Amino acid sequence: MHGLWTMVANDLRQRIRDKSVFIFSLIVPLALMGVLSLVFGGLGDDSVDLKPATVIASADDAGPLGAALLGAVDSLEIMDVTVRKVPAGEVRSETQASGAALGIIIPAGFSDAALSGQPAAVQLVEGNGAALETGVLVSVVQGIVDQFAAGTVTAAAGGAAGLPDEQLAALAREAAAGPPLLTLTEGQAAAEQLSLRGTLVAGQAGLFLMFTVGFGVLGLLAEREQGTLARLRSMPVTGGAVVAAKACTGFILGAVATTVLLTAGSRLFGVSFGSPPVVAVLVLSVVTAATSLTFVVARLVRTAEQANVAQSILAMVLGIAGGAFFPVQGTGFAATLLDLNPIGAFIRGLGISAGGGSLGDVAGPVAVMLGFAAAGLVLSRVLPNRGAQA
Amino acid sequence: MEAVQVQTRDVLDVSGLVRRFGDLTAVDGVSFQIRAGETYGLLGPNGAGKTTIISMVAGLIPADEGTVRVAGRDMTPAETDAKRAIGLVPQELAIYPDLTARENLKFFGRLQGLAGKDLTRRTNEVLELIGLSDRAGDQTKKYSGGMKRRLNIGIGLLHRPTLLILDEPTVGVDPQSRNSILESVERLSVEGMAVLYTTHYMEEAERLCDRIAIIDEGRIQAEGTRDELITLTGGVDRINLRGGGSTARAADALRGLPAVQHVDNDGAGLMLTVSDGPTALAGIVTGAGAAGMSVTSVEIVRPDLESVFLHLTGKALRD
Repeated sequence: MHGLWTMVANDLRQRIRDKSVFIFSLIVPLALMGVLSLVFGGLGDDSVDLKPATVIASADDAGPLGAALLGAVDSLEIMDVTVRKVPAGEVRSETQASGAALGIIIPAGFSDAALSGQPAAVQLVEGNGAALETGVLVSVVQGIVDQFAAGTVTAAAGGAAGLPDEQLAALAREAAAGPPLLTLTEGQAAAEQLSLRGTLVAGQAGLFLMFTVGFGVLGLLAEREQGTLARLRSMPVTGGAVVAAKACTGFILGAVATTVLLTAGSRLFGVSFGSPPVVAVLVLSVVTAATSLTFVVARLVRTAEQANVAQSILAMVLGIAGGAFFPVQGTGFAATLLDLNPIGAFIRGLGISAGGGSLGDVAGPVAVMLGFAAAGLVLSRVLPNRGAQA
Repeated sequence: MEAVQVQTRDVLDVSGLVRRFGDLTAVDGVSFQIRAGETYGLLGPNGAGKTTIISMVAGLIPADEGTVRVAGRDMTPAETDAKRAIGLVPQELAIYPDLTARENLKFFGRLQGLAGKDLTRRTNEVLELIGLSDRAGDQTKKYSGGMKRRLNIGIGLLHRPTLLILDEPTVGVDPQSRNSILESVERLSVEGMAVLYTTHYMEEAERLCDRIAIIDEGRIQAEGTRDELITLTGGVDRINLRGGGSTARAADALRGLPAVQHVDNDGAGLMLTVSDGPTALAGIVTGAGAAGMSVTSVEIVRPDLESVFLHLTGKALRD
């Protein structure tokens, strides 16, 4: 064990001194996170800012429902809405001319018709821009009208059942005044889905982890090329200790770099990944998986240059398939393959963690990553040895 | 650090060593022994199998057949105790370019089991020995080739190995550094260290080695002290006569002299194989002149390891 840690300390000293580990493990991924965030996410956070909107409306209806509809639109909490009333005949032209987001025409007798179970229609005129604000307002009006429709259906049903008019009106009012069928609530995305920025931070951390762990086991190739591997093998340490030292070096560098990237990324881009212990388990699992992959590469390649190329290809394939740049989905066998990707599992686990998930909740992604690690180690023993460990 | 006890008189005992690479038998039944304080040379051209022998002796690769015992312990790649007894100086530089000389020495010293004050003291001693004390804090990538070579050797010496293995340590080294390296090896031998030294430079083997094995095509062709090896050639000298005139008549005349064993005439002069060249020289020059050859230069070549190699293998050492 003394020899093992002596070699690990020596490797870490060299990696820190040659600075390449800082460049490839921290500076490049952080810069890439920033660039991708600007390209895909804009400069703000992930919330959508709705602009103030104007609604042109006619209110020929003398009953309570027309007023209630406009009142609901006017008092929306999610956006600042100004309702301007004009005669019904001018709604369309005024909406077009003023650049309003929406025009609403509430016909005379709308309330009476709705409350008596008769057909009633509200006309909407979309503004020229048909922007996001228009869509939101249409949805809100649709929800309120659906609520009114419930009262109409109730009244119609009561009429068919032979209820007196007073009772029909009371039932319709009750139905219309009930809990809304459609509500708008600000909240977080689904439990396994990180925000765009969170995905970028987690994805880049996972992607560059594949490069970082390469400084470990693949360092055997550099040792061979600079002649020091022969000298190490002439020392009173076992060959297994030499390989294990490289694996430890890669693991330590990977764990530290990923932790620093997640921490720095969360601070710089305002992302939270949830409980630190859960995140720590996820980080250690993905680093284990990535390290195991380097054993496979070290088995197959002969030179440090070949190792770098192979490691880059694997990092990009696993990173892109795992969703390091954008979400990737598949069906059937492809979906199963994507689910077994350790970087995908890492991002999924961080999504669960960010949504408040516990250690038990991330068991699935952790199992995928550790399973990948086990498969990598087995594969590295089975493959013909033509590389650094030869 | 665990002391390695020398169980036998021989520090190194190599017996029947064979190593194959596919169809090629790189080392074919090599046996030799080295005693404490002895410098043993493996002399042979590039590709003769010297480095493969060294690799098995140092436990870098396993032997297909035969055994290696170092300080009484079997040496294999998995053996760690026997490796404490050796210091390997590989043919290629084996130092970390981003570390300083001191850091390189301390790292390999720790792996050999040195620690604390012992490690610091030995590091300083070796830095002094290899003449790098004043540059000990510089990264080795800033060193000259000769400085790197000296550090390469220093690392092998750090833990005072029972057996120092030097694989062509002077390849690519400037004459000054080369001389410094050879002097260091001579000192170590005097101090009692057993040294296994491979080279294809005849002069180095003659200068350093108590005994020499001449290697070619994976086999030891002959083994012994320099003088013992020279006797294999019959102990004859070569005399080269350059000049004009009737070289053919001179050649015929000289063949009749008792000391002359063989005469070659290449048109520009004569090459004679003679016993005891200095004594026979006067009669040879006189005879050549009397036969009509005008001699312009005379050279006596005493037998050397090059001659031995030529005699044993039919080819020059540097072929």
